[in-house]
Amino acid sequence: MEKTARQKHIRNFSIIAHIDHGKSTLADRLLEATSAVSKRDIKEQLLDSMDLERERGITIKAHAVRLNYTAHDGEVYTLNLIDTPGHVDFNYEVSRSLNACEGALLVVDATQGIEAQTLANAYLAVDANLEIVPVINKIDLPAADIERVRSEIEEIIGIPAEGCPAISAKLGLNIEQVLERIVRDIPPPGGDEEAPLSCLIFDSYYDSYLGVVVYVRVMDGRVRPGDRIMMMSSRKTFEVVDVGIMEPFGLKKRDCLSAGDVGYITASIKNVGDTRVGDTVTSADRPCAAPLPGFKKVNPMVYAGIYPADGARYEDLRDALEKLKLNDASLVFEPETSVALGFGFRCGFLGLLHMEIIEERLEREFGLDLITTAPSVIYEVQCKNRGLLKIDNPTDYPAQDEIERAYEPIVKAGIITPTEFVGGLMELCQERRGVFLDMKYLDPARVELSYRLPLGEIIFDFFDALKSRSRGYASLDYEFDGYAESKLVKLDFLINGEQVDALTFIVHEDKVHALARRIAEKLKENIPRQLFEVPIQAAVGGRIIARETVKALRKDVLAKCYGGDITRKKKLLEKQKEGKKKMRQLGSVQVAPEAFMAVFRLGEED
Amino acid sequence: MKKELGIYIHIPFCTSRCPYCDFYSNAGCREDEISRYAAAVAAQLVQWSRMCGEYAVDTVYFGGGTPTLLSLRDFGLLMDALGGHYDIEPGAEISCECNTADAEYLRGLRSLGVNRLSIGAQSLDDDELRELGRVHNSADFVRTYNDAREAGFDNISADLMLGIPCQSRESLHMTLERLCALKPEHVSAYCLRIEESTPFGKAVGRLPLPPEDDIAEMYLGTIKFLAGQEIEQYEISNFARAGYECRHNLKYWNCDEYLGFGASAHSFFGSERFSCPRSLERYLGGEYIAGRTKPSPADLETEYVMLAMRRTAGLVADEYVGRFGVDPHEKYRGRFSEFVRRGLVTADMSGYRFTPRGMLVSNTVLSSILDL
Repeated sequence: MEKTARQKHIRNFSIIAHIDHGKSTLADRLLEATSAVSKRDIKEQLLDSMDLERERGITIKAHAVRLNYTAHDGEVYTLNLIDTPGHVDFNYEVSRSLNACEGALLVVDATQGIEAQTLANAYLAVDANLEIVPVINKIDLPAADIERVRSEIEEIIGIPAEGCPAISAKLGLNIEQVLERIVRDIPPPGGDEEAPLSCLIFDSYYDSYLGVVVYVRVMDGRVRPGDRIMMMSSRKTFEVVDVGIMEPFGLKKRDCLSAGDVGYITASIKNVGDTRVGDTVTSADRPCAAPLPGFKKVNPMVYAGIYPADGARYEDLRDALEKLKLNDASLVFEPETSVALGFGFRCGFLGLLHMEIIEERLEREFGLDLITTAPSVIYEVQCKNRGLLKIDNPTDYPAQDEIERAYEPIVKAGIITPTEFVGGLMELCQERRGVFLDMKYLDPARVELSYRLPLGEIIFDFFDALKSRSRGYASLDYEFDGYAESKLVKLDFLINGEQVDALTFIVHEDKVHALARRIAEKLKENIPRQLFEVPIQAAVGGRIIARETVKALRKDVLAKCYGGDITRKKKLLEKQKEGKKKMRQLGSVQVAPEAFMAVFRLGEED
Repeated sequence: MKKELGIYIHIPFCTSRCPYCDFYSNAGCREDEISRYAAAVAAQLVQWSRMCGEYAVDTVYFGGGTPTLLSLRDFGLLMDALGGHYDIEPGAEISCECNTADAEYLRGLRSLGVNRLSIGAQSLDDDELRELGRVHNSADFVRTYNDAREAGFDNISADLMLGIPCQSRESLHMTLERLCALKPEHVSAYCLRIEESTPFGKAVGRLPLPPEDDIAEMYLGTIKFLAGQEIEQYEISNFARAGYECRHNLKYWNCDEYLGFGASAHSFFGSERFSCPRSLERYLGGEYIAGRTKPSPADLETEYVMLAMRRTAGLVADEYVGRFGVDPHEKYRGRFSEFVRRGLVTADMSGYRFTPRGMLVSNTVLSSILDL
């Protein structure tokens, strides 16, 4: 079908890159070069609007912005930049964002070359049939090797890179070449303006005045204020209040969005759960025949208990989670009670980064002190009489004699590393119960390792271990690859003879002894001495497999009470009493929240 | 009948600072500066005597610092201020702390009316004394002790320290044996406490401190050893032959009234607690009160229990009823029961008291039972 003149002047594109390869800095330069923003308004990494994103140099949510560019051919083009999250936890969201585009800039660091996420994102772009425009960044650095990276792009990804822009986003070098490439190489969008409406949702957020603001790419048809629209997955209908476009500093109303456009819709929607990423928006009165392909409801992969360190702040924690949920449909939580930790929530996350982000936002934006339990994956357990159970909390794991078979989630992991670290990383993957799949040389100095690994092993400090064994050079990407049967056992801990619910772990039977010993030692180090001896026992199904003892407290600091100064003595006692208030009472034993954290954060160095 | 009053006089000067001590003191002061200070204390004594008309002073305590850095003339000035403006009871206990002192000085002190001497021995092991940075050795202590006896002191106390770097149970035993051979009337045994602000506090990781469990054993061993010498424990850190308990220090633990004179000295008087500024300059400028609080009835009750439990007599039910008009068992029987069960506290109708093991963990117990 013939593209309209309007469509011919639109380019919809994403920028994809490995973390730290300069994606957000390039986005800033594009905004600046198209005068969408003046230099004075540029905060570093304008699109990463959350403080957290700027600090960590990562993009957490998708963003979109519209730029106007007058090309060398004298025509004015509308460039819609859809920025995507770069992390494996958000792979699904990335894939939806890419589906809203016709092309992608693939940014590769001239000093690092192709990394695991470069590859993973490039494959996603290829799957979405995008035109990929390679861009080599950081050519200002002394270690830049443009030719090597160019041949890597051609050989590993298999796309021509001859004459691709070599830029320095930091210095603003050759940015115009990139803009020209976008106009020249990325095809304009198609779509039939007269066909029934179909829009792809690639993001949404909650605004207290507008309700949910839905970011869409219009595939076919038109949408105007007053139209009745329907979300195809839920069949819920809404009346459109406004449509418009995303300018760098805010939303701008328009009369209409048409096939090929990227823009927003508001329709008095209260809940981001009604505007799932990947869903299709159509007309309620004249719906399209089928939803756009690829929609799925993303399910949490990692669960953890989150508790307020100060039990009195439970309500605050709930309010904070509800507020975050307004903008994050993939966050799930439900109340949970632990004898050891009090009242809290079992929360589900897309992955470890997602979990860290939520934790950090709760602490930073809501001023909460948290105790977060060790993360857990979802185990599937075939029980003798209860059928198949999905277990997201280790405490709920059934007793061994009830279990017929147990399954754990598996991922396919790709690790790209300089060859010198291959041995150490293979060892790491073996330790983590990995199954070797493949090893490919990307170039003489670097290889890609493929392993099947249990997700439960990855969420337990795997990334830190990977980094420490490769001096920071190895990169990781993984995707869910189904469930596999596994010999799992439930590891419990007893403190002074009483089982502590927060200290329950699901572990592979080959690793249970080592883990039990490590945790028992950590507990011993972190449980303050009491007035009596406190035994710490690790148990599997009633059998004690590790034991430590916290010796009884023999002696306090005995201050002189001399010269009649009793205030110091009193302050000392007050401080001691204050310290006790923060303690969690486990039967007759008092344990500081820090003791739990030390166990939940067991790391490679231990 | 007059009420009884204790007087504490703080002399904040030392020849050198010991690296573990955080009491208020100044090293390296000239004689004329010390004299000026003595005059200022005499002035405070005169000024405050006006509120003491209804009191008879039954204890005086010169503490420091090092009170024996006062010249005998300055010491005499203070004794005159006391004698001239206060009603000092004939049998009053008049104590003075010292480290080492020569025979002549000790004779002088005795003739000024000082009748109890508390010598800071800390240890009779010269290596340990070096670790502590003390300027004296064990021979200096023994000489001072004997000179004091000759000067006519029949009530002498020695301070010992437990938990000194390099100290062992054996070396402590040796110290106790050598000390007891001298037949002191009184012994104080403190656990070395590492204060953050001191040089020890800053070097704490590098100090060869005995393990905590060893110090606990040293403490229990000291109680037993001294009891064998008929020097019985009467407070967490204090031991005496019958009738030689330090009456002044007992006032602190009994919540009796006392006035403190000199920089950083504390008072409990007329149901108020107050203290002089912890600064020579401010004190010499005539500022006598830096902090002042009036404890509420609930505070007084808490303080009573906190201090009374330092004594081996413990919380005495009759005493408690006399002070607060209620029976203590209702409030404390339940609170102490866990600790009674663990053998840390003994309880009966007459009251509650720590066992020696309980004394060691008294902070933990008190912070649990008190309404702080």
